[in-house]
Amino acid sequence: MNLYEPYRVKIAGLVDETPDTRTFRLEFLDPEVARTFDFKTGQFGEYSAFGAGECTFCIASSPTRRGYIECSFKTVGKATTALRDLNVGDTMGFRGPYGNHFPLERMEGSSLVFIAGGIGLAPVRSVIWNALDLRDRFKDVTIVYGARSVSDLVYKRELEEWAARADVRLHQTVDPGGETPDWAGEVGFVPTIVEKSAPSATNAYAIVCGPPIMIKFTLPVLKKLGFADDRIYTTLENRMKCGIGKCGRCNIGPVYVCKDGPVFTAEELAKLPPEF
Amino acid sequence: MKELRDLATKLLAEGTVNVVLGWEEGPRGVRPAFATDAAAAGRLVFDPRCTQNLVPYLSPRRTQVKKLGKAAVVVKGCDARAVAGLVRETQLAREDVVVIGVRCGGVIADPASPEPLSPATVADRCPGCNSREPKLADHTVGELPAAPPGESRRDVRIADLEARTADERWAFWQDELGRCVRCHACREACPMCFCERCVADKTQPQWVDSSPHPRGAFAWNVTRALHLAGRCVDCGECERACPVDIPLGLLNLKLARVASERFGYTATDDPAVPSPVGSFQKDDAQEFIL
Amino acid sequence: MNGRTISRSQLAALVDDLVGSGVGVVAPVRAPDGRLDYRPVARLEEAVLDGGLPRLSLKSLFLPPTEPLFSFRKSGPDVAIDSVPTTFPPRLVLGAVPCDAAGVAALDKVMGWDYRDELWFGRREATTIVSVACGKGDASCFCGATGNGPAGTRGADLLLLPLDDGFAVEVVTPKGEALLSAHAGRFGEPPNEADVARRRAGLLEGRVEPVGSLAPVTAWLGGHFDDPVWDGIALRCHGCGACASVCPTCHCFDIVDEPEGVTRGTRRRNWDTCQTARFTLHASGHNPRSVQDARYRQRVLHKFSIYPERFGELLCTGCGRCSRACPGGMDLPDVLGAIAARAAAPAGGAA
Repeated sequence: MNLYEPYRVKIAGLVDETPDTRTFRLEFLDPEVARTFDFKTGQFGEYSAFGAGECTFCIASSPTRRGYIECSFKTVGKATTALRDLNVGDTMGFRGPYGNHFPLERMEGSSLVFIAGGIGLAPVRSVIWNALDLRDRFKDVTIVYGARSVSDLVYKRELEEWAARADVRLHQTVDPGGETPDWAGEVGFVPTIVEKSAPSATNAYAIVCGPPIMIKFTLPVLKKLGFADDRIYTTLENRMKCGIGKCGRCNIGPVYVCKDGPVFTAEELAKLPPEF
Repeated sequence: MKELRDLATKLLAEGTVNVVLGWEEGPRGVRPAFATDAAAAGRLVFDPRCTQNLVPYLSPRRTQVKKLGKAAVVVKGCDARAVAGLVRETQLAREDVVVIGVRCGGVIADPASPEPLSPATVADRCPGCNSREPKLADHTVGELPAAPPGESRRDVRIADLEARTADERWAFWQDELGRCVRCHACREACPMCFCERCVADKTQPQWVDSSPHPRGAFAWNVTRALHLAGRCVDCGECERACPVDIPLGLLNLKLARVASERFGYTATDDPAVPSPVGSFQKDDAQEFIL
Repeated sequence: MNGRTISRSQLAALVDDLVGSGVGVVAPVRAPDGRLDYRPVARLEEAVLDGGLPRLSLKSLFLPPTEPLFSFRKSGPDVAIDSVPTTFPPRLVLGAVPCDAAGVAALDKVMGWDYRDELWFGRREATTIVSVACGKGDASCFCGATGNGPAGTRGADLLLLPLDDGFAVEVVTPKGEALLSAHAGRFGEPPNEADVARRRAGLLEGRVEPVGSLAPVTAWLGGHFDDPVWDGIALRCHGCGACASVCPTCHCFDIVDEPEGVTRGTRRRNWDTCQTARFTLHASGHNPRSVQDARYRQRVLHKFSIYPERFGELLCTGCGRCSRACPGGMDLPDVLGAIAARAAAPAGGAA
């Protein structure tokens, strides 16, 4: 066994979130690992389809739900295509958890504003469930989630669940032109909806994940709403191979995203060279 | 030298081109230069150390060079074959580049060497060269020096390899290619390796293993040699770039000879001559097609 | 010098002893084309000590160009994993060039922070490095500027300094001491101090390095990511990565799966380099380092700013291999000199 050898995990369930995005629920084959495996929200792993290679995703489930982990991925390259060819009951590989995490402990007693676009909801979903499972430790919970179109929204059943909860404020939106006739949510880009819903910045933290363009336009809105840069968190998705600070691929300026990240505050991001 | 510098200065001054690709003195012998003003044009040199082929910098993949604007490129006869190759394969429009030819008496293998041109230092491709004056040049400078010194070492080595048994040749290449680390420097320095997506980088499907084990080293080097058969311009850049000194020139030259014997094609700086891989003749040999 | 001496014949006998007892001895060996490669030897005569730099650096003995991480076998929905060994047979490198040994020591840092790379350290622990002081430097060498020098001991367990017959032996680490004690009979009296000092000085005689102190370069680099010094710096760079292949400290790697038939395969790690466009290319097509200037800047920053900041030392030993290997005429000392000049210029100091 060496650092690069993965745990073997069995696909216990799968959900097709969108035409090209799938979620796996994974259970560790080794009962000892299954019992002791622990992680913090925001950490990532290297998932492998044996024969095709590894890919890097966050752990999309909450550490409060034990016994399994979940990941959501879009089919883009060789490894994700091979992952998609796997079925419930098949064995795949997992290395992790790696990297830092969203400092939820620091956020206790505060309001949380979650902002996500597209598959960027995956890392945010882990924090959302983590916080909702410890609901009494947090004040207001607001979620702004958008995708290109209705069919691109991921975790649809959970969106319904959050929409139904009295202790969560959910704003769903799709890009103009992406709505269906029966769409009851907002139509507009995420930054616009954030501005419109205007969550209070008082004693609040924002957690933002999504495409770079969404983050770029959301940060000024948050600033306008009064969020300080050190209270805005996001997670970087640099290319990675080893996940453990050796292979050099995710290095930006003095930072190794796999070890110093993937979670950064907007304040930290602003100091990095624009190579992500 | 003055003729070259004056011409480069004039082309830049009159706005014919924005940059002249030539050679200049560097910290280790001569190095490629990208002259965009008169001062830099005045530093251009041409002498037997100028072994580098500058035509790879005209590849569409070199986005930073492209941004400098319209280019003139200084070429030796061998380098001119690369210009013709790019034009022949529609990677470069002839009118988009000004070609400055230099008459050449051979270059030394290592541009950083302080040794003079001699049979010992001459680049492998030079002895017996028949393209010492580039024909497709817009301007040609310099006097024609004496022919390159020495005799072709490669002829001897190829004859030696041909005389060996298949097993012996296999052992030879296993040893040579056994050093390959799959950095692909050969490809990046090659004027004719211009593919936007090389077959070796494709993963769906993965045609060529990316590892530098014997299987991967053979798959890569043989694939590249075959892709260059009838296309290689014999400028020597791949072999010069190779950090582990694999004699790639032997592979390429052997295949060039096969292309010449079978299809009557020899690398030339005439872009109008069709290459065997880009053309079909009714009398092409085809008995190998099953 | 705290050590002993060893004659050439005793060194030959030591090699015989080691080989006879099952220790693999690796040394620079002359290839048919005249270049040197670190290769296993059976006898001292095969080795070329102080013959200059081997083609590939010593790093390839600890991080091979390709190595298996594990193999896997599939059967229906199940997968079995076959591990690779992380312990290695004992090995002695004889005739490491000091700048190569220093590179291995520098890499221990990145290979060991938080996560200990067992394949790297398995080989490190199994290997004793005997360097030979270098008298073959050329105008591209700048080991002095990186703080090591031609008789530098960094990364070596023993350092041999050539004498008229044999070598003065400097013990650098307990591992070197152990080798010396285990074969004490092969080693002679301590060398004449004055002779050693004279020969050490001889190594530096007439030596002019192509770049001066690197401290100002390191200090300046951190705050100057967008400085004009980077504009067009890599025009002549082909992005071929030959520099990284020959570099004793470039350690970036790729991880790939290679199927062997339908049900079996091996996951391997292979050398990779930040100098190619593919290195940072995302599956989406986005490339955070889209031009060669950015990729070359990354190489310089990683060696002279990032690594010092994170690990407290340069990721360069001044061996000069990158300059010699570059087909495009890029020259690292030249670039460092340009940066030093920029750092010293009145306007260059400001961030």
